[in-house]
Amino acid sequence: MSAPQWLLQSEVGLCPCGCIGVRRKGSFVAKTLAGASGVMRQAIFSDDIAARNGLLQRLDPRVKLVTMIGTLVVVALVHSLPLLALAYVGTVVLAAVSGLPLGFFIKRVWLFIPIFTGIVVLPATLSVVTPGDVVLPLWHWHGHTHGVTEQGLHGAGIIITRVATSISLVVLLTLTTPWVRLLAALRALGVPKIFVLVIGMAYRYLFLLLDAVDDMYTARKARTLGPDREGRRFVAAGAGTLFGKSHQLSEEVHQAMVARGYTGNARSMSAFRLRTADAVWSAGIVAAAVILLVLDRGVL
Amino acid sequence: MNVFECRDLSYAYLERYPALEKVSLSVAPGETVALLGANGCGKSTLLKLLDGLLFADSGTFTAFGEEVTEDKLEDEQFNRGFRSRVGFVFQNSDAQVFSPSVREEIAFGCLQLGMSRESATERVNDVLAMLDIAELADRAPFQLSGGQKKRVAIASVLVMNPEVLLFDEPTAALDPRTQYWLVELLEQLRSAGKTIVLATHDLDTLPDLADRCVVFSELHTVVADAPTADVLDDHRLLLDVNLIHERSVRRATSMRHTAPAGAPTAS
Repeated sequence: MSAPQWLLQSEVGLCPCGCIGVRRKGSFVAKTLAGASGVMRQAIFSDDIAARNGLLQRLDPRVKLVTMIGTLVVVALVHSLPLLALAYVGTVVLAAVSGLPLGFFIKRVWLFIPIFTGIVVLPATLSVVTPGDVVLPLWHWHGHTHGVTEQGLHGAGIIITRVATSISLVVLLTLTTPWVRLLAALRALGVPKIFVLVIGMAYRYLFLLLDAVDDMYTARKARTLGPDREGRRFVAAGAGTLFGKSHQLSEEVHQAMVARGYTGNARSMSAFRLRTADAVWSAGIVAAAVILLVLDRGVL
Repeated sequence: MNVFECRDLSYAYLERYPALEKVSLSVAPGETVALLGANGCGKSTLLKLLDGLLFADSGTFTAFGEEVTEDKLEDEQFNRGFRSRVGFVFQNSDAQVFSPSVREEIAFGCLQLGMSRESATERVNDVLAMLDIAELADRAPFQLSGGQKKRVAIASVLVMNPEVLLFDEPTAALDPRTQYWLVELLEQLRSAGKTIVLATHDLDTLPDLADRCVVFSELHTVVADAPTADVLDDHRLLLDVNLIHERSVRRATSMRHTAPAGAPTAS
């Protein structure tokens, strides 16, 4: 083996004139990858919360899953804004007694609502969509005042509160139940084995593939000088490489499962036991649901 | 009766890239056999054939006196018997550690083979304690280091208490402490009468690991089958199969000559 001449000479890394390069913002690829490693941090953080000794953490995951789904249905049926607001306050109280950091919990729910729900309900607040008493005039048309109506605001408030309460319930469930126990609960409630197994493995290998993407990007960044204009091409090529890697890995994983007796019917360690706390919780949730529905239909 | 009997096994990936060419070998009960060879010579493929994960294009493979074929492994009773007697520790621990938690991972094999949850839990706890990984029990695999993943992968196979253990590059990419922890574990398993077949090209730990070596050439054929000491002394053979390099031989020789009397010498 003989090395070419250029490899035997050292090269100046920086421009010999001593000029300084232009500082540039990170590309969309860098930002996406930063988000990807955020997923990993988030998962570890969620595991820590699920391991705390709070009210919801002590409940059987099956009971928690069923009662949460039931509560979601009830929240969807309630049409009273004060009652929905009360339900939302209830989720915040549950978060507090389960040891969740309240700032994080509230931010996690309200960060997405303006983006997804706010944009959708915004037109519904206007008199052209929801006629009624204009509380904020915006324009005049043929002698009529148009703008935000009281009825529109009320409707938008109901939708936003309902979405906030529903998201809070789902966040409560996922943050207070370890992922493994949640999957086992799904299985115990009759969700097909293969479905649960696939979700579990997808979650497991998500981190491995995130690592692979991170490595690929870091390796590329280490060899990139100047502005990076090939980001999209890198993403396309990276996706292809990752597809090949994940295919190879899936084959090995399957072999490792077969080697230990897997024949298409996975068995799990999780065994659940119902306790008094689960019964008390279920009774409390049923009572709260009935009260909400009765108040919604009758009094308010 | 031998544990494994292979006669003229040939295998090619995609029917085009040969991995094994007329390989014959036998493994007796309680023996520790090392499959030696350079990268890509077919060691891992042979291990997968011995574990009934791949099936030879030609030749016969017999385990515990019964021929192992794809059809036979479809039979639930045969499959369960074979899988409970042969355990395989993969080179890539990430492929082997697929369950959402370490405890689930270790219990996987026992539960698949029909053991009750109570017995499986007992065994899992014993193995966790034996391999000193009890504190990892409820962690997710992605939170583990390479060495910890290897321990979990080994635990997940040992928990099934197989008669035969297959190890693919067991010491690869491990730090020295974990490497020698593994060597000591293999010594214990040997003395407990387990049959061990391992694929490696790590010659440093070999004298501690294997009674016998089966050496593969880069042409995917077996070129030697002899006691470990004889194979390690045959520099010509090791050079030919790309397990050592001229320079490593020269350096070892010069270290032997320059070392002061009584000092340990490189082998």
